[in-house]
This record gives sequence, structure tokens and C-alpha cells, in this order.
Amino acid sequence: MADTPYLPLKPLMMKDRVSMIFLQYGQIDVKDNAFVLIQENEVRTHIPVGSIACIMLEPGTRVSHAAVKLAAEVGTLLVWVGEAGVRVYSSGQPGGARSDRLLYQAKLALDDELRLKVVRKMYEIRFGEAAPAKRSVEQLRGIEGARVRKTYELLAKKYGVEWKRRNYDTDNWDLSDVPNRCMSAATACLYGITEAAVLAAGYAPAIGFIHWGKPLSFVYDIADVFKFDTVVPIAFKIAAKNPHNPDREVRLACRDAFRAQNTLAKIIPMIEEILAAGEIQPPEMPPESVPPAIPPAESIGEAGHRSK
Amino acid sequence: MSMVVVVTENVPPRLRGRLAIWLLQVRAGVYVGEVSRRVREMIWQQCTELCDEGNIVMAWATNTESGFDFQTVGKNRRLPVDMDGLRLVSFFPEAGENAL
Repeated sequence: MADTPYLPLKPLMMKDRVSMIFLQYGQIDVKDNAFVLIQENEVRTHIPVGSIACIMLEPGTRVSHAAVKLAAEVGTLLVWVGEAGVRVYSSGQPGGARSDRLLYQAKLALDDELRLKVVRKMYEIRFGEAAPAKRSVEQLRGIEGARVRKTYELLAKKYGVEWKRRNYDTDNWDLSDVPNRCMSAATACLYGITEAAVLAAGYAPAIGFIHWGKPLSFVYDIADVFKFDTVVPIAFKIAAKNPHNPDREVRLACRDAFRAQNTLAKIIPMIEEILAAGEIQPPEMPPESVPPAIPPAESIGEAGHRSK
Repeated sequence: MSMVVVVTENVPPRLRGRLAIWLLQVRAGVYVGEVSRRVREMIWQQCTELCDEGNIVMAWATNTESGFDFQTVGKNRRLPVDMDGLRLVSFFPEAGENAL
């Protein structure tokens, strides 16, 4: 048998991908180089792993080492989620694959003046108007909170949904009301693709500007910019129908919205735009430092992907 | 107009010839073309009516998230599955077989 040449896998750009896929009940493995879900009775489904932004693994899945390796090589984020997408645990790609981006993000977050600029930019993009002058981050967050509650109420009214407040109990998922369940399922979809984008761009999910102290603080910051144009109206619209299977309906609708609004293509440019509001440049390589001994491979993917 | 691919298995020669009227046969049983929606639906009707014991899959470019959609007719071990709006294909082992 002739030696077959080694062909490295190249990650695709986020904008060229499908948003997400939820997998449950089955073994996820690699067979003949392909990423497969093996269900009961040997039923096999090929998952086009490289063309998906993130794979949400629901309860009942087992992933093999080879599958995780393949997902990593093609830059696809694996997210371990609980029932109906309520986040339990996540991994797949460590954050901050690019030290220049990470240091840039950290510098913006550490300096109060720069952080305020970034937060003001987020506010401006979300509400379509400049943030009131001379407000601290704390005050802006208060204004934002009030506006968000108001937006929830307005949208609930528009779709005819009874809305008390955003509330859920992750230990007692079934006790949440239908609108809150829909909202959790919808935001889970958005957080998944946002985390994939943050990582792909080479930033750290934990270093937030408005949110702080959570593993996904920055993901929440960025997702909030998109939330009320994409997934929140979907959640209310589905909740109003009170369907038999709200999670599935929500995911279908989220997929449509992400496609219609071209969300995957927008997230990374939006991250760059928001961080650029700090008006500083990512750090240059210090003259005394050394580049990697073996230069990194040319990539057709995103900066944060660990391309071979 | 969008690209369409038709793959046939075990279909009668009269359908093979018929498909070659509108599409290019690039390999045995594999047809490719660029057609409008109306033409595609007309071709699909021919497929379903002339299929006999064979099986056919037709895939075409469209405005879904994956950028294409597909439909099948006839019995095949690969069956379409819907994963929350994303359409994939599952491979079923033959009944009684402990396939690998």
C-alpha cells in the first residue's frame, strides 16, 4: 500500500458555518475520519463537524478522545449543556489563544477609563444612542437594567405573554414558567455561538466589561448586544404559542433568525468594534522576546483557532 | 436558478435517459445541473413516478442555514433526520445484521 500523504485539517471562518447542533443520547466518535453520532441499534449519523460553529452536547452523550481531537482541529466548540440547553459545563477550546488579543482585552478591562469607553460603546450599540455623559459603569448598568426590564415587558405585551420576571431555577428546570423556559433555551443558543466566536477571535470569555466574575462574563457582554434583536423576541413568540415541545421550537426559530440576520458573520466584527472604542492598539511584540521556533501554519480560519 | 444534484440507485433505464435530457450525467447515476425551482419540481415528479424499485436523492442549493436542501424517494439505508432544523442523514444497519 502506498503511503498516503498527511493532509492537515483547516478550520473554517465563523461566517462560513452553520450555527449549532444539539446532540443527545449516543456515542460520539470518529469512524473512517468522520465525526459520527452512534445511536441505539448501530444507527450512525455523520455530523459535518467542521461546518458548525458549536456542538451542544446534551445529557446522554459520550464523546471519545478522537472526537474531541477532531473537533479541536477544525476549531469547532464543544459545549456540554444540561437539559434544554441550560448550561452545565463547557469546554473544547481554552480561551485566549492569542496573547496579543488577550493582553489587549485585559488592558481595556483593567483600566477604569478604558473600560468605561468600552461599556459606553456597548450601550450605544444596544440602544442606538450615545450613553448619557458622565456616568460611571455602575450607573450605566443601572440604566441598562431598567431599560432591559422595560424591553422584556414591551415584548411580552407585544406577543401576548404573561411575563413576571426573568427567573429560573437550574436545579428545578421543570418548575420554571414557559416564557422563562423559552428564554433560557433561546439564550443558550446565543451564548453557544457567541462563545465560539469569542474563542475563535482569540479573546478570553471570562474577561468581561459589564459582567464580571463568571467564566463567560465577556460572552454575556457580547451576547447582550444581539439578544434583544434575535433570541428574546423568538422566546416570547414561541411562548405565546405554548407549544408541546418549546425547546425544539425555540432552536428552530433561533436557527432561522441567525441565518436571516447573518449573526455568525456579525459577532467577531462587533467584538472588534466594541473593543476598538478603547482607542488603544493591541500590544506589539517586545523586541527582546522570541517568536515560536517553528512558525505557525498558514490559516484560512479565525485568529484564535489552533490551526495546524 | 440553483444547482441541483440527483443520485439514482437501481432505477429503470427509462428514468436514467429521461434525467439525461435536462441534467449532465457526470458518473453512473449521478446527475448535475442548474435549474429553476419549477424545473426542479418537474424533474422530481418524473423521478417519483419512474422510480420503480430503485431509490433517488435530489439535493439543491437554497436559502437554508446549510445552503442546500434535499429529498429522497424509495428505500435506502440512509434516511434523512431532522436535528432541530438542521437536516442530516442517518445510516441504518440492515435488519438483523450486527453491522460495524
